[in-house]
Amino acid sequence: MNNNPITTALARMRRSPYQVLAAISIMAVTLFLACAFFVVAVGSQEVLKYFESRPALNAFFKSDLVPTPLQIETIKSKLSSTGLVVSVKYISKEDAFNIYRDLNKSDPLLLEAVTSGMLPASIEVSAKNPRDLKNISEMLKTENGIDDVRFEEDVVSALTHWTNSIRTVGLVAVGIHVIITFLVILLIIGLKLASRKEEIGLMRLVGATFGYIAAPFIWEGIFYGIFGALIAWGTVYLIILYSMGFLLGLLSGIPILPPPILFMLEVLGGTVGLGVVIGAIGGWLAVVRFLKQ
Amino acid sequence: MISAQGLTKKFGSVLAIDNASFTIASGEFVFLIGKSGSGKTTLIRLLLRDLAIDSGTLIIDETDVSKIPFRKLPLYRRGIGVVFQDYKLLMDRNVRENVALPLQLRQVKQAEAHAAVHAALETVGLADKMELFPAQLSGGEIQRVAIARAIVAQPKLILADEPTGNLDPATAKSILKLLRQIHEELQTTVIMATHNAGLVDHSSLRVITLESGKLIKDTQKGKYE
Repeated sequence: MNNNPITTALARMRRSPYQVLAAISIMAVTLFLACAFFVVAVGSQEVLKYFESRPALNAFFKSDLVPTPLQIETIKSKLSSTGLVVSVKYISKEDAFNIYRDLNKSDPLLLEAVTSGMLPASIEVSAKNPRDLKNISEMLKTENGIDDVRFEEDVVSALTHWTNSIRTVGLVAVGIHVIITFLVILLIIGLKLASRKEEIGLMRLVGATFGYIAAPFIWEGIFYGIFGALIAWGTVYLIILYSMGFLLGLLSGIPILPPPILFMLEVLGGTVGLGVVIGAIGGWLAVVRFLKQ
Repeated sequence: MISAQGLTKKFGSVLAIDNASFTIASGEFVFLIGKSGSGKTTLIRLLLRDLAIDSGTLIIDETDVSKIPFRKLPLYRRGIGVVFQDYKLLMDRNVRENVALPLQLRQVKQAEAHAAVHAALETVGLADKMELFPAQLSGGEIQRVAIARAIVAQPKLILADEPTGNLDPATAKSILKLLRQIHEELQTTVIMATHNAGLVDHSSLRVITLESGKLIKDTQKGKYE
């Protein structure tokens, strides 16, 4: 006497493998999209944070000028008083040469061609908000001895735009697929309900509650969600691992790869959760719809 | 006790049950007779609250059937054993599982349920066929399984809607004998809809006659006319 809705649901799934395959496939596609968009969105956010947290602006002094400590302090305090900056760092001609030497240590020809006197001293500024970089830049340009100001405004604004676009496109695509998946789950569980019309009719007449009738169908939806989520998450993880070499080259210096295991487990939890919610609500709606007929 | 006063049910403009009033005492065996379309099945469905009552009152053991809220209907129906003309057995479950269904709904413990199923199948003479599936049984045996399912939870009321309709005369007789035996042994109220004149005439039991939804005759030891 099987009175357990979970084993009943699994037994019914075994009896209709093609319907189950269809349900799990559409669930896996939807959850793959959700999972992939989420991972890409988080990755983009991390890249954006990386660029935002870097000394985002460099103000170079004239190359023949060695700024006095007073001059440097004046600029530093002016910047601090704006409240727009996180940090300000002075890079002397010697510091600049050391950086240059580190960057080109594998090329002796380049090292020989440059001396510390040739490189300009500079000031590195990290802004609280990348949108303020332009104002800071304008302010520094007016300072005596400043020759050139460079900042990554374009990179940050492009990344911000890109991240927002990913979010929007992702949400719309996932939203549409969630609706399609709901409809497919409704249809598949609806077919199963219709094929058990007599059984359900009898159960109602002998005193079965809504919960008793609905539970195996809701569990079936939940199983579609769980299996779909595992497939989707596994596929996303495999794609990340497979393309790790390419991604490491593309994101050189940005420490977001490989994704931490804990993060990927959280993604798995979220994907399974979304699948379970879609499946359970789909199953429940199918039963409600059927019993109302 | 069952008490109906001015019971009415309409399907569109058709009066399926027209102002019917009757009383059935606890432990009574009553035949419900009439031609096809006279309202027998509708009355059975009203008693089961499978259909909503349009007007009038129907009280069963102090419960106003028309006022039972939707969420409490399962509990109400668990107090009634039902036997259908088309048996309504689950073909993918064996005899034991079919009979156990009402007990499953009540969350009865497995050992207790097993004993009750065995006792019910003993009563209908099918204890040795517990593991068979409905497709492996004869029409009479299938109806006996349906009766076992109806009595397994020991309801106070059994509604039998043409239980002999699909059976040959000899098997029909044995089914009626079985229902009468259950009625006598368990003191269960039995309402049996039928248009089998032979069964009614040989039973000398109370007969309620319906015609076009109207209750036209209610006689003790009645005959099928």
